[in-house]
Amino acid sequence: MLNDLHSIKEAVREEAEKASSLQDIQDLRVRYLGKKGLLTSRLKDLGSIPKEQRPAFGSLLNETKKHIEGLLEKQEGLFKSSELNRSLQTQQIDITVPGCFTPWGHLHPITRVLDEIVGIFISLGFTVEEGPEVELDFYNFEALNFPKDHPARDMQDTFFVSDDVVLRTHTSSVQVRTMEKNTPPLRVIAPGKVYRCDADVTHIPMFHQLEGFMVDKNIRMSDLKGVLQLFILRVFGSRTSVRFRPSFFPFTEPSAEIDISCVICKGTGCNVCKGTGWLEILGAGMINPRVYEMAGYDPDRYTGFAFGMGIERVAMLKYGIDDIRLFPDNDNRFLKQF
Amino acid sequence: MKASYNWLKDFVDINVSPKELAHLLTMAGFEVEAVEAIDDDAVFDIGITPNRPDCLSIRGIAREISAILGTHFKDISVNIDKEQGKGPDVVIENPELCHRYSARTVSGVKPGPSPEWLSRRLESCGIRSTNNIVDVTNYLLLEIGQPMHAFDLDRLEGGKIIVREAGECDSFKTLDNEERKLSKDVLLIWDANKPVAVAGVMGGQNTEVSSGTVNILLESAYFNPSSVRKTSRLLNLSSESSYRFERGVDLQAVSIALDRAAQMISELAGGRISGITDVYPRPYQQRIISVSLDRVSSVIGIDIDESFFVKTLLNIGFYIKGDGKVRAVTPPSYRNDVEREIDIIEEIARLYGYDKIPATLPVMQMSPAPEHKTQALVKTLKDSMVSSGFSEVINFSFMNPDSLDKLNLPPGDSRRNFIHIRNPLRKEDSTMRTTLVPALFNNVSMNLNRGEKMLAFFEISNVFISTGQKLPEETIQMAAVYHKGPVSSLWQAKHDGFYDLKGALENIFATLNISNVSFIKDTSVAPYLHPGKSGNILINNEKVGHIGILHPVVSESFDIKGDVAVTEIYDVASILKAVPLKTTYVSLPKYPYIERDVALIVNDEITVSSVKQVILSIQSDIIEAVNLFDIYKGKPIPKDKKSLAFSIRYRSASKTLTDNEVDELHSEIIRKLQINLHAELRS
Repeated sequence: MLNDLHSIKEAVREEAEKASSLQDIQDLRVRYLGKKGLLTSRLKDLGSIPKEQRPAFGSLLNETKKHIEGLLEKQEGLFKSSELNRSLQTQQIDITVPGCFTPWGHLHPITRVLDEIVGIFISLGFTVEEGPEVELDFYNFEALNFPKDHPARDMQDTFFVSDDVVLRTHTSSVQVRTMEKNTPPLRVIAPGKVYRCDADVTHIPMFHQLEGFMVDKNIRMSDLKGVLQLFILRVFGSRTSVRFRPSFFPFTEPSAEIDISCVICKGTGCNVCKGTGWLEILGAGMINPRVYEMAGYDPDRYTGFAFGMGIERVAMLKYGIDDIRLFPDNDNRFLKQF
Repeated sequence: MKASYNWLKDFVDINVSPKELAHLLTMAGFEVEAVEAIDDDAVFDIGITPNRPDCLSIRGIAREISAILGTHFKDISVNIDKEQGKGPDVVIENPELCHRYSARTVSGVKPGPSPEWLSRRLESCGIRSTNNIVDVTNYLLLEIGQPMHAFDLDRLEGGKIIVREAGECDSFKTLDNEERKLSKDVLLIWDANKPVAVAGVMGGQNTEVSSGTVNILLESAYFNPSSVRKTSRLLNLSSESSYRFERGVDLQAVSIALDRAAQMISELAGGRISGITDVYPRPYQQRIISVSLDRVSSVIGIDIDESFFVKTLLNIGFYIKGDGKVRAVTPPSYRNDVEREIDIIEEIARLYGYDKIPATLPVMQMSPAPEHKTQALVKTLKDSMVSSGFSEVINFSFMNPDSLDKLNLPPGDSRRNFIHIRNPLRKEDSTMRTTLVPALFNNVSMNLNRGEKMLAFFEISNVFISTGQKLPEETIQMAAVYHKGPVSSLWQAKHDGFYDLKGALENIFATLNISNVSFIKDTSVAPYLHPGKSGNILINNEKVGHIGILHPVVSESFDIKGDVAVTEIYDVASILKAVPLKTTYVSLPKYPYIERDVALIVNDEITVSSVKQVILSIQSDIIEAVNLFDIYKGKPIPKDKKSLAFSIRYRSASKTLTDNEVDELHSEIIRKLQINLHAELRS
């Protein structure tokens, strides 16, 4: 009896190994484990076995059944996976057909550059302020030490709405507005649109600027250098050279113009930098005491710096855009590149 | 200002090459924009900032070079060989407008061409040579920065000069043969009877020096800067003279220039020099500025040593008194720009060299930053629109007022309350925009013309409405346009572009957690929209904007073929108000839902929202959601009808629903739809 079970096991193993399809395995299962299968018939013989031997024989029988089932399942698994593989091979798609999606739109390059610059200054603890675009002459000029009938006003071609209302020519107009509402310490940036009565190949009458200023006790000109240098290296890369040189703005004293090494030729001289190797990128300076007086601050108590930059210019240098008029043109083919 | 290298060397020893000098000047605040080689000379084109009129001259630039290089400055000295007789009569009637007027006559001159060295120097600095008399006045203008004028003395009636406003004299013919309209307060130079020059701006034709001139009167004066500037702007006439006067010339150099000019003319054109007349009613006032060395150091962020401070200021012509930490500094007469301690600090920083100032980071006290919710919202709106496939445009804030006629806006519309620009570049740009849409329509039209398709643009910018106050109301608006094009590719959804645009808006509201949004049809929402395909956008029952298809006639007027969907949010801040202050978690449902579909055949005019309303009007707390999943028109649906298919989701908060319960309610819903909307069930 025991030998019989053993030979069944062996027979199943041999036949399972020889099987060539899933069907063969299923046939084996029926032949041995089915209702009329060989092993099932042995179960029926259980009655003919002496009572005391029955439990031992029964458990042996069960064990054999499990063994055979395991054997068949394993073999079945091999066939199933190879059959699945075959069937998957027949299900081919063309992966070169374009994908289906709603394409994202694009932020205007000016917004992208502004977002980046604003982000840098916010990380330095600056906050964002805004002012009107149609502005009083007072905030745009007078309060910034541009007296009426002063040649300094020639530096900016102004659009006039009335004698004392202009389209702001710079975001510096936000300075005194902000100072009037707050007390130092101030760390402020003011991005926005500005207007100049000028249109040619290199000028557009509306463009974007970002003004920044900081007022506190003991702010030094060296701090202005430190903050702007840090900013420039972040935007244009750590290999950029930065140069500060004296200049003039009525609302800063001392005033500076900040150049970076030409992003195109890396400082060796090219068309973009007119052969100088330098590109003007920022105007800055220590806030003129007259501005504090206009804002009602004590000029002996506070010092601070201010700076301003044209965003179109930064964007042109960053992206290699060679015509400023592309910004207001809003050509889809241009916008899609950003 | 153009400056010749050789001419500069008359005044200062230069031991560096022109290229090196250009760099040094730039780094000292005199930006050299170009260096041009002319024969054996080099000409610098220098940008002189408005605060430094003293450097609108060779002498002034040379003085700076001497301070930069530390080399010797050789000032001019003038000796008039012999004077004959007294100077001409000069009367200043407006001393506020003319602080000083000095004059000499030169008799018996022979006008003729200038020697080559003189005409070459003038021409290298951009001034054309005329004759030896006019050339000398221009030479002095360039060399000393003092504008001068030579009158033909024999054409000056009474041989005298009167400085007086125009008054009743309302026009005058200048040297350039232009008849100039004057206003009463324009300062003129008169002879005994008639005006002969516009003070500080340009001489008159009536007394011009010509080849036949024998006797001349030379003028060297100081005119009030803002008066000259006003006149120059009024006449729309800017000259080398007015440019210098309006920035301020050196009051103390007025007679030096006169003497040098008279001497040069007598050498080049012959003639006898008269004595000097020097009327000087507003003499130069010296300023004494107290400067703290500690302050200098603390503002710049360096330790300035005393000897550097003293040496630097002496080199640029300043006088220093006292010792110790606080000094009394007197700027020279040609430095009108230096008025306060900070101006001296700038001089020190400039000549110390900005590049030598260290870069430090300020020590700051932390302080809470104010919240700027509007800016954050604008950023969210932009990002959301971009994620829906819209690209951002930024248009000029100018608008052609006629474009509102194209939009059919009625006369009283508030968008016609313009802010006008007095000096626009073009008539089409003469007002500030009161709506964003005309520019967006132009964007669509222009891009279509360039062959672009599927245009989806938005803009978030200010509009400007005049309210009668000094400043207009500036409101941040958002507008978007969508032009799907007459032929879209087959894989694109077949629905109308309107719904793409509406979807973008719904995306925004979903992002911001704003739930109570409705789109209500309104045939009169905007006169430029298609009356059947437009409506209002309401948040919490408040109108915040509109959406629709552009009226075909308006499309055509903007040169757009095909439908354009457009939406406008009137005030971005109104959206901010609707953003829930806090988000509250709702616990997840415990029991499963059961879904039942219903397909109805209804008349065309039945809207989706009216069907939803009927369904939701049934008193039951187990209707969780009603979602449209299909709209169908065509066979076998009758012509004036359509099929709407909804999926209704049922769920109870307290138990698992049985099919029977749901079937019962679902049948009730169908009955109600049949009764209320005359809907038929589609089988």
